[in-house]
Amino acid sequence: MNVKKTFVLLCVLCVVVSSISCVKDVDFDQTEDVVLTPVFEIDFVYSRFNTDRFVNPEIDPSIVVPEVFVNDTLDYDLLGTDFIVDNLERIELTFEFRNTIERDFEFTLGFLDDNGVQVGPFNRITVNAGNGEGVTPVVTTEVIVFDNATINILATAAKLISTIQVQNINSSLGGILEMRSKGTYFINYDL
Amino acid sequence: MRVCMLFIMGFLVFFGYSQNKETLYDFIDLPQSLLLNPGAEVRFNYHFGVPFLSQIHVNVGLKGASLYDVFADDGRNINDKIESTLHKLTSDDYLTVTQQLELLSFGWKSKKNEKIYFSGGIYQELDVIGYFPKDFAVLAYQGNRDFLNQPFRFSSISGSAELLAVYHFGYTKKVNKSMTFGARAKLYSSMFHVRSTKNKGTFATIETPQGRNIYQHVISNADVTLKTSGYRGLKDLEGKEIVNKLIGRAFLGGNLGLGIDLGFTHKINEQLAITGSVNDLGMIVYSKDVETYRARGNYVFEGFETPIRFSGESPENFLDELEEAIPLDTLSTTYITMRPLKFNGSVKYSFNKYDDGTCNCYLEGEQPPYQDAFGVQLFSQFRPKRQQYAASLFYYKRFFNFLRTKLTYTIDDYSYNNMGFLLSTHIDKINFYISANNLLEYTNLAKARGASLQLGFNIIM
Repeated sequence: MNVKKTFVLLCVLCVVVSSISCVKDVDFDQTEDVVLTPVFEIDFVYSRFNTDRFVNPEIDPSIVVPEVFVNDTLDYDLLGTDFIVDNLERIELTFEFRNTIERDFEFTLGFLDDNGVQVGPFNRITVNAGNGEGVTPVVTTEVIVFDNATINILATAAKLISTIQVQNINSSLGGILEMRSKGTYFINYDL
Repeated sequence: MRVCMLFIMGFLVFFGYSQNKETLYDFIDLPQSLLLNPGAEVRFNYHFGVPFLSQIHVNVGLKGASLYDVFADDGRNINDKIESTLHKLTSDDYLTVTQQLELLSFGWKSKKNEKIYFSGGIYQELDVIGYFPKDFAVLAYQGNRDFLNQPFRFSSISGSAELLAVYHFGYTKKVNKSMTFGARAKLYSSMFHVRSTKNKGTFATIETPQGRNIYQHVISNADVTLKTSGYRGLKDLEGKEIVNKLIGRAFLGGNLGLGIDLGFTHKINEQLAITGSVNDLGMIVYSKDVETYRARGNYVFEGFETPIRFSGESPENFLDELEEAIPLDTLSTTYITMRPLKFNGSVKYSFNKYDDGTCNCYLEGEQPPYQDAFGVQLFSQFRPKRQQYAASLFYYKRFFNFLRTKLTYTIDDYSYNNMGFLLSTHIDKINFYISANNLLEYTNLAKARGASLQLGFNIIM
């Protein structure tokens, strides 16, 4: 075999290798269909208090306070990023109240922007009255759902405002109100 | 859809490594075998590699999955395939790539002592390994809801990447009839290095039925480090400036290190030989342009207490608290990293020596070589998490003086049916060689777990 034949052989080999070495039966265009849908569960707000926080235990039990209203604001800018607003499909806020105080409570949750102006709807939850101190607590569970449209409205939210409201209480009332909550965040991220 | 081999090679370069060159090892017709074993037998008087073309090497490996697993055109939804691949992969699976380009290669037989052969050169190397960060890939892809009370381990984050130039000079001596010994000194000039290994700690979402809130999100004993060198100086550069900067570092302007290769060939008898070598026994000291990021600490998040006035505590700021509990330190302390140590070994039995003048298989005046050989080879390499191993059976065949080949069958981390082939032509003084492995997968590289290709031109005399 001479030199010429050898090069012909090499050329044939290169052509054969490069022609058979392919990627088949795959479709890289499928990347367009990739959607990430992780679901994250993250603690939200919590609280635990007794009636001492609403009414001075040393005042005469015959004195009835017609209404107590406590509000609180927290910095909350989770919804402030474009990624979240664009790709967060739904939020479910799950609240669980355990009450032994023999009164209904009204819990309200809302959002404020940087200027303290309300953004989006206020959400009210009525917490069922308990059966008294030392008794098995009455459990109230409520889920507040924010769809994508609401999340867009809440994009400018910077603070979270919560209020607790209770009526007709006196110093003889005992018991504990416990609130636990979580947010379930449904992401839908289209690559 | 048909995508050619080069495309897929190029694509994988960005993701994926092992430096096993089973076809080239102990292929003593080529001077490149001296890079794998400085104690390999030398049968030529001098060699000179064609600059930039004497060795082009690309090696890609994916342990645990192939492109086909995710991109198969089989009618299934890609998200289902990603999810099943995600569950199949473990944090010991990895994507690797190595690329080498020989810039200069030369060697000559000593005039004073013809039993001594000197060889040297310069090559550039890119070495990347990324272990699959299973825990955090699952967290990102599926979230934490289905993985309550399960720890996500920071140790699953592990990988390294390095771009460097290697200056080397070797000495090979035939000590006696049965023993050849060699050593190669190496000077490394690292252009870019990033490494994150030995991370510790966990993140978990724990259900707390009796706790203050529904869960506790716990970062426990976190100790995560990312070491970089050569990155800080590139951050603000663009395009050509980056290339110029890297070239400057390649010419001994980078972080320097020293290493050595050692090897031997021992002929038990005329036909049976054992060889062994250790490559890259050395280290690089990273002192220039170093930026190391380290986060350590513990943190528990239980949500926000409201109304805060009831507890008398100050309002919480989640991010401030997290930063205080797990501060991110940026350090510029010198660090040292060992080069990925590699071992090669072989047992070779040679036969078929046509020394009766009946074949056109050696040059006049040349000692008639054996035309055939077979044997076994072993390879091992240290990697960040654990050693990698490969074992090969090989068959060497010299068809004519100008055509020499080697066929290998290798079992390694990637597959149990890896066939490799090397073809080397020697026409007058001009040598061309080409080698590839995973040949059985070449008809559809998408299903391959790894592929290796090397080729080059030399002048050998």
